[in-house]
Amino acid sequence: MLALAGCQRTDGESGDGSEPDPEDGDDSDDDVMAVPEVVEVEDPPDAVYVPTHREAMRMLEPIAAGDLRLAPMLSYPHPFWVIAGGGGSDDEVQRVDPDDGRGVHMMFTLWDDESGVVLPIDDGTQLRISRDGEQVGQPRSPWPMISQEMGFHFGDNVSLPEDGTYSVEVTIPPVSTRKTGDLAGRLEEGVTATFEFVYDDEFRHEVVGGVEYLDEEDWGRRGALAPMDHGGGMEDGDHGDDMGGDEHGDGHGHVDDGHHDDHADDSHHDDHEGHHHVPYSALPDVEAYPGTLLLESRADDRPEETADLPRSGDAAFLSTVTEPGFRLADGDERYLLVSPRTPYNRVPLADMSMTVTIERDGEVVAEPTLEQILDSEYGLHYGASIADVRADDTVTITIESPPQVARHRGYETAFLEMEPVELTVPEVQ
Amino acid sequence: MAPDRSSLSRREYVRALVAAGGASALSACLDAVGGGDERSGVDAPPGTDDPDSLPGRQHAWNGALSSDDDGNVQLPAHHVLLALSLHEGPDEDARETTEAALRTLERAYEWSNDGLVFTIGYTPAYFRRYHGSIPDSVDLPEPVALTDRENPTFDEFDAVVHLASDRPEVVLEAEEGLVGDRETVNGVDVETDLGSVFDRLDDRRRTGFVGEGLPADRTDLSGVPDSVPEEAPFFMGFRSGFRESQATEDRVTIEDGPFAGGTTQHVSSMDLQLEVWFEQDNHYQRVSKMFSPEHAEGDLVGSVGERLETTNGLSDERIEATAADARERGVVGHAQKAARAREDGEPLLLRRDFNTGDGDRPGLHFLSIQREIGEFVRVREAMTGADLDVPSANNGILHYIFVNRRGNYLIPPRSLRSLPPADPDSEREPID
Repeated sequence: MLALAGCQRTDGESGDGSEPDPEDGDDSDDDVMAVPEVVEVEDPPDAVYVPTHREAMRMLEPIAAGDLRLAPMLSYPHPFWVIAGGGGSDDEVQRVDPDDGRGVHMMFTLWDDESGVVLPIDDGTQLRISRDGEQVGQPRSPWPMISQEMGFHFGDNVSLPEDGTYSVEVTIPPVSTRKTGDLAGRLEEGVTATFEFVYDDEFRHEVVGGVEYLDEEDWGRRGALAPMDHGGGMEDGDHGDDMGGDEHGDGHGHVDDGHHDDHADDSHHDDHEGHHHVPYSALPDVEAYPGTLLLESRADDRPEETADLPRSGDAAFLSTVTEPGFRLADGDERYLLVSPRTPYNRVPLADMSMTVTIERDGEVVAEPTLEQILDSEYGLHYGASIADVRADDTVTITIESPPQVARHRGYETAFLEMEPVELTVPEVQ
Repeated sequence: MAPDRSSLSRREYVRALVAAGGASALSACLDAVGGGDERSGVDAPPGTDDPDSLPGRQHAWNGALSSDDDGNVQLPAHHVLLALSLHEGPDEDARETTEAALRTLERAYEWSNDGLVFTIGYTPAYFRRYHGSIPDSVDLPEPVALTDRENPTFDEFDAVVHLASDRPEVVLEAEEGLVGDRETVNGVDVETDLGSVFDRLDDRRRTGFVGEGLPADRTDLSGVPDSVPEEAPFFMGFRSGFRESQATEDRVTIEDGPFAGGTTQHVSSMDLQLEVWFEQDNHYQRVSKMFSPEHAEGDLVGSVGERLETTNGLSDERIEATAADARERGVVGHAQKAARAREDGEPLLLRRDFNTGDGDRPGLHFLSIQREIGEFVRVREAMTGADLDVPSANNGILHYIFVNRRGNYLIPPRSLRSLPPADPDSEREPID
């Protein structure tokens, strides 16, 4: 009934596929499927939803790039969605299907080594791939992307002409987004790093064979896959390991219903001995933010966690007004901090444009523009300094453009058409 | 390496021959076009024995070039940028030799698409050979990296000759004649060549082409996907060089000082990422990123720009809306951004750029002339759009271009084109 993922051999020969064919012969690449056949959710909701399966990937050893660290990850080429626009026209979002199976979905997470903050923004990162010193394909700028398992990362499908060892030079320009806290004045230099990987039958076995289907009853329901346990559960970059699909414990297949999502913290802090520690781009949860949390209605209880926050386009909006003189505000002003995030895994939603209208007794008293900020403590958020805000003021956040980041499966129908978020100020400190 | 004729269309083959260059490529090209034989060379319309009949501006090409149905100037189809390095310091003999070699080309070929148009330009490195500096009336800084994401190498040789013709065999023969590897050009004896003055830098030689069918024609190159539109004249899939989007030759001409009548030239070379552009983005997104989101929404462009006749369709309103589009639409167009640098509604640059398959990879040699290099820099900054609140991937076409070389040149007026001193008003001799 269902064509499930697996290492389907097409040539009838036996073997474990671990012997890469030195000749890029007609048939050798068919020994192991380069891409699994996957079942897709039909008619998913306009919200974050659980896909049918977890992808498998090979994690390579993180490498230093100036003050940054970069963790490369490789999977099979798979569909993703790119966005250029408001999401109001179907044409502004485009599903990208790999043109042929030969190649990889190349990803990397990038973080500031000192603060551990994952960089959720792109200033023109570039990849140059070579093999035996010869350039392979054209340079490319990977897409900034979000996925349920990987959080924010950079990635693209990259065709590879044949099996072999490839070298990837990554160039990261200075971070132009305004940086605050411990990041202020830092990450002002462009950096370059290089990693290598082997593309062969063994790799294909690993990533195609590692695909794990979820229970069918979970497919398409609202929720998200738990973040991949970068530290422990996944492959450690030792290519000799057999990456069978089911040996990695209960982290796989776990589906987050939004109310027990402390795993994101785990991935921040767990550093399993002998494994690479790769941070996941989860933002802090509600209690970590300063000031007064804005509510949809005065009568509401204060949300305790991200899943309970007001939503627009299924993005959770954490919005607070700080006390006067807060470090991110101008002088003695207050600071309006708006932190839109994915509702279950708390992945920051970057490259949005938003305006704010503050009303008091039916009169507009301020219309600040929110600026995208990268802070060492509160991560990526949008902020504005506010001279005057009082209890019972209405704060309306209007989304001018939704997050212009590419999406993996399960995020492609969310965060597109985003209605204004109307909030009230319950009190001021 | 000789291109393999059997696997290429005729058009692909002659482009590959221009890219290869040299005597054997010329010979093969003559065979392929059938217009002449190897001994007598090409059979192009002849030039003139009266140099005064030619314009005083080297860059005065527009009046001699053909136009398309919409009145847009048609740049010649084939281009060579010949990089030259002086053997030794320029002196009067070298100056006379250079002038004689260039006049040979003018005698040989009609100044037209069907014949040959060319310029010779000089780098800041060339002018450093002289005591004294270039006059303030010429804005010719050293080339620099213009964005945070590029790390280009710079043209630090002395000079570049830009040869352009609709006939591939003409650019090849003219080049061979200039460097002394050929005894006649279009039937005219080559009595003087540049070989005693300059070395040709083969590893800096650049070539390219412009014209309908180009991208679809070059799917033999790695990095050019099969999905490119058949009719597109440029690799990025759209028409360019619209009359009203180009500066006039007057606007780009230096007006004062000893180099009045000259212009400045910027040449940057870049790799193009066409697989992502054509196979990941859709047409609507490409139009948004190349022109403006309003062009996409209003379907103003057509499949390759055929709905745009003499202009890229950027009204003042659309140009002024760039910053608002960045925030409200999350995407801005390349043309829209660059047009912000217009002065009094007038474009500053006259683009004569062309695509290339140099290195067997799709690329662009962006060549523009303007009165001052500073004007190019301003347009480039407007195009970079670092001031715009828009993500990198939706910031025009920045996501798809990878600059790897930059060079600045002075194109002197014809009267000073042969090894000009830095300051022609002084009598200073070169340093070395």
